[in-house]
Amino acid sequence: MSPANARFTTLLENKVLSRLEKMRLNPLRRLTNRTRGEHQSGKGGTSTDFADYRDYVPGDDVKNVDWNIFARLERPYVKLYRHEEDLHVVLLLDSSASMKFEGKFDRARQLAAALGTMGLMNVERVSVYTCPARAEEPLFLPPCTGRVSRGRLFDFLERLEVKGDCPFESAIDGMLSRHRGRGLVILLSDFLTFGDLQKPFNMLFSAGLEVSAIQILGPTELNPELTGNLRFVDSESGQTLDVSNVGDLLSVYHAHRLALEEEVAMICRQRSGRFLSISSQAPLESVLFDLLRRKGWIR
Amino acid sequence: MNWGGFLNPMAGLWFLLVGPLVILYFLKLRRPQLEVPSLVLWRSVINDSRVNSPFQKFKRNLLLLLQLALLGCLVLAAMRPFWRGTADQAQYLPVLIDCSASMAALDKPGGQSRLDLAKQEVGRLIDNLLPGQRLALIAVANSARSLCDFSDNPRILRAALDKLTVQHAPSRLEDGLRMAQALALTNPVETVLFYTDGNLPTVVSFDLPFELSYQKLPSGGSNVGITAVNAQRNRDGWDVFVRVDSTRNSAHTTTVEFWNSGRLEASELVTVDGAGSQRVVFNVPDEGAASLEVRLKPDGFDSLSLDNQAFLDLPRQRNLRVYCPLSLATYRQAMPEQDALVLYPDDEGNGTAAEYDLVITDQGADLPLNARMALSIGVIPEDLKELLDTTTQVAEIVDWQRSSPLLQYVQLRDVQLGDEPRKLEGVEDKAFEMAGYEILAQGKRAPLVLHRARPTRDDYVFLFHTDRSTLVYRIGFPILVKNILEEARRLAGLSEARSQPTGVLEPRSVAPDSSFTVTAPDGSRTVHRSSAEGDLAGIAAPTIGRYLVDSGQGDPEVVGVSLQSVTETQLEGVDTLRVKEVRVSAATARLQTDRPLWHWLALLGFSLLLIEWLFFQKRPAGMRVAV
Repeated sequence: MSPANARFTTLLENKVLSRLEKMRLNPLRRLTNRTRGEHQSGKGGTSTDFADYRDYVPGDDVKNVDWNIFARLERPYVKLYRHEEDLHVVLLLDSSASMKFEGKFDRARQLAAALGTMGLMNVERVSVYTCPARAEEPLFLPPCTGRVSRGRLFDFLERLEVKGDCPFESAIDGMLSRHRGRGLVILLSDFLTFGDLQKPFNMLFSAGLEVSAIQILGPTELNPELTGNLRFVDSESGQTLDVSNVGDLLSVYHAHRLALEEEVAMICRQRSGRFLSISSQAPLESVLFDLLRRKGWIR
Repeated sequence: MNWGGFLNPMAGLWFLLVGPLVILYFLKLRRPQLEVPSLVLWRSVINDSRVNSPFQKFKRNLLLLLQLALLGCLVLAAMRPFWRGTADQAQYLPVLIDCSASMAALDKPGGQSRLDLAKQEVGRLIDNLLPGQRLALIAVANSARSLCDFSDNPRILRAALDKLTVQHAPSRLEDGLRMAQALALTNPVETVLFYTDGNLPTVVSFDLPFELSYQKLPSGGSNVGITAVNAQRNRDGWDVFVRVDSTRNSAHTTTVEFWNSGRLEASELVTVDGAGSQRVVFNVPDEGAASLEVRLKPDGFDSLSLDNQAFLDLPRQRNLRVYCPLSLATYRQAMPEQDALVLYPDDEGNGTAAEYDLVITDQGADLPLNARMALSIGVIPEDLKELLDTTTQVAEIVDWQRSSPLLQYVQLRDVQLGDEPRKLEGVEDKAFEMAGYEILAQGKRAPLVLHRARPTRDDYVFLFHTDRSTLVYRIGFPILVKNILEEARRLAGLSEARSQPTGVLEPRSVAPDSSFTVTAPDGSRTVHRSSAEGDLAGIAAPTIGRYLVDSGQGDPEVVGVSLQSVTETQLEGVDTLRVKEVRVSAATARLQTDRPLWHWLALLGFSLLLIEWLFFQKRPAGMRVAV
């Protein structure tokens, strides 16, 4: 294989990567930082993009007075420009044992790589956090920016393994203890946790992070075909649950799964966030270039 | 109301196995394990379903429930439950099955015969045989035949039942009841079942030692048939009378064909409306012996075909052979000359015959002569000498049987007798009956005229000598002699002929100690031997058709046998039998026997076992099974 055709990363094909480089994230709100970046701030700034006029007040720099307006209206108005600040993109990847089923973790890593690529290519600060195993130091990628950081991002993601039983809400706590700054947090998980998601989402919202949650479920989680008496074993905790006549309970299962989706979506909406549930077997290109674009997550 | 019961209730102790089964179930329950990403959803599902379904607890242990149900079925089957029917539960149950000719009647064209219906009913009995119950099958027609002794083996009973066929004979229940009574001697029999179409005599002469359950089957369809064929001698030959009957309330048009020695002589269209019989007369010229056959060809549906054919054998006409010694001149003179008879010896005292039709004698030495009918005058037979003797006192006749063929139209009142028979000390009239004699005329001290009927010989005994009485001077004497001759002709078959009904061939006088081969209509052959007295009797003739009796010397004798039973043809079923003093009514509903349920429970248990196996073997799909 010639170096020209060599894959840049095992997570994404080159053609996908090249398409991703032309796309960028589309947050709902402008949660940017003071540091200068390429995301225009909601506040006035010094960029070349015109934002609005306001009345001149004494003390304003006269170079900002729009003299053309003054000539017409004989009243001084000051031109306001947008302030361009950087957007901090935080990718929180669920690497607990529950993600090892049916390519859920692989799909999560691919999405993280794609979204991270978009951030880096648009000079955002991108950081990646995972769920550490209990009593282990959390594994994370510190904030990095620019095209040159793509290698670090891909390398970090490729080396990630599924292990541990850390609850997802604890991982959010851990991430917030290290993260500084406002921005966009993208949660990639199956959200199958016994804990309460309200509190960690409140903390994310309070930290100035816009929450975008993507739930990744396997086909047998979306549509299980089970019958008889079974003993379910939790992949994370090893706990067991005896269930008789599983076939009769599938309708109840579906109701609870949809209720969980609705609950997570509601939590996100209440915090000005977004939620999306996808199958781990859904084609990646379809998710990236069709679903996320249509939903307005990227542009 | 008692709905049923258990034959082996002690087997219910096996229900104690429920405890160990439950314990073992919970100790040994092993479920297939499935590793799932998280139990989050499944825990909430279980919590929700427990709240919403109070029976979820049972559903969770469906396997245990199946095992308990299986154990219940097996234990209940071991307890041998049964559903109580309308019949009393009897351990030994003789079943009488009517297989007379009327049981061959069909209910519609191509339909079922009555015997098939009876077989179905009895087959149901066999199928529902409870453990410990035994059936005995007895076929009843004009006699009874044991098909199968008491047995609880359905295969043997079925085989015996399948062999049962219709007999070409009318019903007689007595023999069947006697056979059941014989079975009751060795086994406790409380009830006897009798399956019949009800076509049998209303009065049954039998003392019932058990309960008779009269199961009447539906009657067959409309029928027409020949119920009698007989012939009377006329001047030129024979008048043959054919009687045709039909079932009540049905009109039939049928053609009566008359065949003589294989030739169709005549046919006549007859309509029988069921209200009465029709009689058809054919004339047969005197051309020697003849084998006649009468056939019916009904225009419409005829449920019974057995009675559509009848046979009549006419003997070759000859003179009556009469032996009367010269000493009985009064009798010889009273015999009309124009009558076709030959008198032995002739007036010169010459001539004898090997066989006579009638012997009239007043000498004991003549009594052993070979004759169909014998009349002894003033001679006490050897077997009566111990019962009476004769005195010379004057006696009178007190009473006599006016209906007797011998004494018809003979006035015996005021006849003076020169001899008076007298019973010996302590002898009752019953002693004469025990000796086989019937008293035709009674004196003051003893019987005066006796009659003994035997298969091949009829003996009339005048215990007084007519020559020493005023009878010979009375107008009744020639009438008496005429009656004697007529009776002799009748017994010799010279004056009339009757068709032989099925059952047993009439006894006949043949050469003593000789072998005879009898060929039945179906070709089967039996060998019979005549007695030392020259009697050939007891030849069974159960099938309609012609029998050949072959002595091996000369042409065999042909004897036609036909059904000829009014009751069998009319297919009328009686609703009530009178068995001596007991009235037995036909059951209004079909007999329901106790029905064993154990095999259904065993089948249910087997089904549960299959369900449990499938339930256990069914692996979940869509997720891998954890090792």
